[in-house]
Amino acid sequence: MIGEGVYEVFARKKRGEPLRHIGYVDAPGDELARVYAWKTYDEEKWFEMCVVPRGAVIPVNRDDGPWGRNRRGREGDG
Amino acid sequence: MSQRAEEQLKERIRSGYILESPEEMTPGYRRAIIIQLTVQADTELMSAPAYWLAARHAPSTNTQVSAHAIIQDELAHANIAYRLLEDMGVSKEKLVYGREPHEFKHPYGFDQPLDNWAELVVANGFFDRAGICLLGDVHRNTSYGPLKRALVKVDMEETFHLRHGEVWMRRLARAGGAATELLQRCVDWMFPMTIEWFGLPDDLKRHSGQLDYKLKGLTNDELRQLWMSSTVPLCEGLGLKVPAHYDEAAEEYVLDYPFPCEYDPDAKHWLFDDGEISWDAVFARWKGRGPMNERYVESVRRSRGTVSSWLN
Repeated sequence: MIGEGVYEVFARKKRGEPLRHIGYVDAPGDELARVYAWKTYDEEKWFEMCVVPRGAVIPVNRDDGPWGRNRRGREGDG
Repeated sequence: MSQRAEEQLKERIRSGYILESPEEMTPGYRRAIIIQLTVQADTELMSAPAYWLAARHAPSTNTQVSAHAIIQDELAHANIAYRLLEDMGVSKEKLVYGREPHEFKHPYGFDQPLDNWAELVVANGFFDRAGICLLGDVHRNTSYGPLKRALVKVDMEETFHLRHGEVWMRRLARAGGAATELLQRCVDWMFPMTIEWFGLPDDLKRHSGQLDYKLKGLTNDELRQLWMSSTVPLCEGLGLKVPAHYDEAAEEYVLDYPFPCEYDPDAKHWLFDDGEISWDAVFARWKGRGPMNERYVESVRRSRGTVSSWLN
């Protein structure tokens, strides 16, 4: 099996607009995640796009959903 | 979880509640959305090899690019739906690589070969339009926030596929002669194929919960009417014959052939003359899958094992 992690994809349509969560890709590393995101979410001519490994998102006020799992995983770290 | 919890969730959804995480789902909701997303993902995935084999018939480099852009979109849409499933604890790996070809849940239409350029553009004009009817309705009505947002991209791109189909159907219809004859032959088998795609009529439909949980807004018959309300005028405007017409008195589109009826996949021919058959017979045909099922599934996963073995 090819080991892949989840990357969240964020993008901004044009200057002055908010950066929005637009989707996700699975990729075996950061470099391919950049390529997959750019090629997968090509429905707009994005002004800005970035990817974030799912495990790097730390939820502040909720503990459900895919990001909440990170927080539960971190409990006891501190 | 209890029946009461299911009813409570349905009640909240009726007053506009949007779910944002799988943890908020009841078992009934979870079951219904997993089925819906599996059908959606499998349909997008299987459209890719169907269109990919047909893209060989593209008449120019520009049309090759358009056809492959559509294929790329379909794969991205499949990926989006499988990812939403993963977040519910369903394995994408197992769904894509762990099932037998006949276990995929795409419609029978994507088990058929698309043998020339006309068939590819009519598939864009008919099948992708069915996709827009179905997914546009989900987008407007779904109670699951992550799916609603994901469908923004999908709807936008499916509209491009439809436009590609319509523009090319118009070109072929205007050309006359062999082009128009070929186009008519495509319509003859692909129109009833799409009609059947929308599934059981409302008066026979078992209660699925998809409407109660607001996973969609329109019934099968309403979606079928919606599809015909744009497809029939399009075809009539192009001088193409379709086996349906608008009934002024009933204020709806009416089929001019026995529905459902049997299909001969080798001849690409609907057996209108043999009369109406039961839906059980239709389900049996769907379950048996169509002529391209194994080849299409094989073509999206054939290199998986080889490449994985190089990397490990």
